[in-house]
Formats: sequence, C-alpha cells, structure tokens
Amino acid sequence: MSQPLSPEREQRRAAIREALREVKNLPTLPGIISKLTKMVDDPDITTDQMGKLISKDHILAAKLLKLANSAFYGFPQRISSLSSAIILLGFNVIKILIISASIFELMEDQDVELWEHSLGCAVVCSVLAKHLEISDPEEVSTAGLIHDLGKVAIKMELPKESETITALVGSRGISRFTAEHELLGLDHAEVGGWLAKSWNLPVKLVEPIAWHHNPAGASSEPMAAAIVHFADIIIRGLGYGHGRDIWVPTLQSKAWELLRLRPTDLDKILENVEEKLWDVKGFSLEIKMEAGGVGSTSPGRG
Amino acid sequence: MQQISIAQATEGMILAKDVMTTDNRVLCGKATALSASIIERFKRMDITHVTVEDYPVAEKGAKSLKDELLAVEERFGSVRHIKPLMHLKKRIQKRLAAARQTTPPSSDRGEAT
Ligand SMILES: [Fe+2]
Ligand SMILES: [Fe+2]
Repeated sequence: MSQPLSPEREQRRAAIREALREVKNLPTLPGIISKLTKMVDDPDITTDQMGKLISKDHILAAKLLKLANSAFYGFPQRISSLSSAIILLGFNVIKILIISASIFELMEDQDVELWEHSLGCAVVCSVLAKHLEISDPEEVSTAGLIHDLGKVAIKMELPKESETITALVGSRGISRFTAEHELLGLDHAEVGGWLAKSWNLPVKLVEPIAWHHNPAGASSEPMAAAIVHFADIIIRGLGYGHGRDIWVPTLQSKAWELLRLRPTDLDKILENVEEKLWDVKGFSLEIKMEAGGVGSTSPGRG
Repeated sequence: MQQISIAQATEGMILAKDVMTTDNRVLCGKATALSASIIERFKRMDITHVTVEDYPVAEKGAKSLKDELLAVEERFGSVRHIKPLMHLKKRIQKRLAAARQTTPPSSDRGEAT
C-alpha cells in the first residue's frame, strides 16, 4: 500500500486477485462447516449434539482430537472427547481446525517444509501467548498454524508463477515474500487474508494472517498479529524456514514495543519452544507415517 | 542432555527429565538408568520421547557445532541492523552450544531443581 503501483501492475494485481478469489483448486470447505455454523447460531444446540455431528466423520474427528492434544495447545490434561474439545477450544477454534485439517492434507504431501514451519510457528505462538498471558491463546496458536495459508493458495491457483517465485528465491537469495512482490505485486499474507475472510473466519484469525509481515496494519487484533509476526521470526531463527528461503524476516519496531518482551524473557521462551518442538516433530512424523501407510511404527499407538 | 525418540532409546541411558504419562503423572523419575523392560513399558504407555543425559544419539546428517552456528549467522544475515534480533541470534547460538556440551560423568545426577 505504501508505494503507488503502475497501471499495468495494478491491473495484473487485480487479475491475480480475481483468480485467487475463485480459489477453484483449493479444497472447498467441508459441508460440515456450514452445518456447524448454523448449529452454533441456534441457542438450543448443545456441545454434545455438535460433537455428535463431527464424530460422524471418523477421520475428521480423529484429526481434531489429535490437534487438540498436540503441543501447540498445550492443555495439561488429555482431551479425549469431542464435546470436551468443543468446550475447551471453543467453536471458532474447532471450525478452524477442521479447515486446517483439509488445508494441511495438501501441504503435507506437497510441501513438508512449509508444514513444519507452520507447526513450529504455532508452537511459538502458544508459548508467546502464555508468556504474555493473553486471553485467547488457542486462537493465536491456530493463527500461527495457518499464517502462511496464502502460500498454499498461490501454489494451487498460480502454479507457474509459484515455480518462478521458487526459482527467484534460489537464484537471487531473496525471501519468498520479496519474490512474490516482484512477480505478482502482492504477497501471501494479503492472499491468505482474503481467503480467510472469504471463509468467514473470525477477525482474530484473519488479521494475524493478513498482517503477519506488517503487524502495524492490524486494526482490531494488533496483539495477535504481533505475536504471529514475532513467532515467524523465532521459528525461522531456529532453522524452520521454507526451502531456500531460510531468512529471518525483519522485526517491526511497533510490534516489538507492543510485545514488551525483555531480552531476559527470550531464554525462557526459547527453552519452552525447544521442549515443545519435540512433540511437534513426533506429531508431524506420525501424520506422515499415517499418510504414507508403509512402515507404520509402534503397533501400540492408536 | 538430549531429547530422543523412544525408538532411539537404549539400555544404560540415564533419564535427564521425569517421564510423564499422557495424563501428567510421573511414570519414571529422572536419574533412572533405562533397562530393556523400562523401554518396553514406555512403548506400551504411548510415550514417544524421552530426555536423556549427555548427547548419545548422533542425528543423521547432523552438522558440527561450528556449522550450526554459521547457519544461524547466515539466517540472520539481512537483519543485522535490528538490535532485538541480534540478541535473539546470540541466545539461539548460546543454546546450541550449551546443548552440545556433555555433562561430566562426575556431576551430580540427584534431584536438582
Ligand atoms: Fe509469511
Ligand atoms: Fe511464515
């Protein structure tokens, strides 16, 4: 938004926007989402009934519980039923988990690095959210989990451009973000923001996705945006980049001031992150093995 | 201290942290030496990872500490002018170096902290 684009670029941008808006190739939201949305507006519906609806889809239910018990939410107790997951996580988080489950199906086999970067970012978000004692840590973790959603959308909708971007990153040693701007005149944060909005996700998720590279732009959820912004930095600092885009992005000073972290807090945060990252590695591996089928390990796990 | 997957655990390794059950009870206290039956039991109990003393498992394709530190340096290459990030970089490098340090065998393996 800062520098005016030439008319051609502006046109191109509009065309891309149009193409992405249709999101033909992205997974359509499972029909269950609209059913659940209707349910949540009905005051007579209980969490039990909602749980029953979700549990009709066995795979979905299993994925949900696995996510709910994973390190990025860090609940001290095991969540064993869907209804307690709904109570603990809240409907919006459940909704987003269903969405991320379908997005990640694509990411897992297409882009393992982006998937690990995303899981790692969710972990850092949950550690930061707890450290800062913000009121809705689960939503921030979820935002971290899908903050690079726009990258998936670009890859699915503009596969050729996406390849050129990957080539640019490799040959010039620049970040994907910069390459996207050069080639498309927009970036994955913006795209992810449109998509999240078009899916009617809550603003607590839309804003951190849309503004994770420029958190000053977040008008109603500046804290969530700042957390995802800094989590992205930390996880990249720890080596979870995206292919040859290994770079730690710049830190926006406004976001840094908002977080009010002291240098001494960093050690504690890093320690917590490292511990939880191990769980995530296990989680990621498990999912990969389940997807691959071959060589599934430890028969005791179910 | 190193966190390893249960598949990498072998007899004689010493637990550096308590092993907890999924519902947060202590299954096996730190400083315990692993035996075949303990490892079997962990597997049955759905334990996926344990933290053990020293750095017994060389990771596949693991870099030397020097290379790791250089890689951190490189990742932070375009943000050298941002002070808090330079601090973050230093802390990450410090932790990497500390993780590689093996605990001397004479050190106190009691229930510190
Ligand atoms: Fe990003
Ligand atoms: Fe990212």
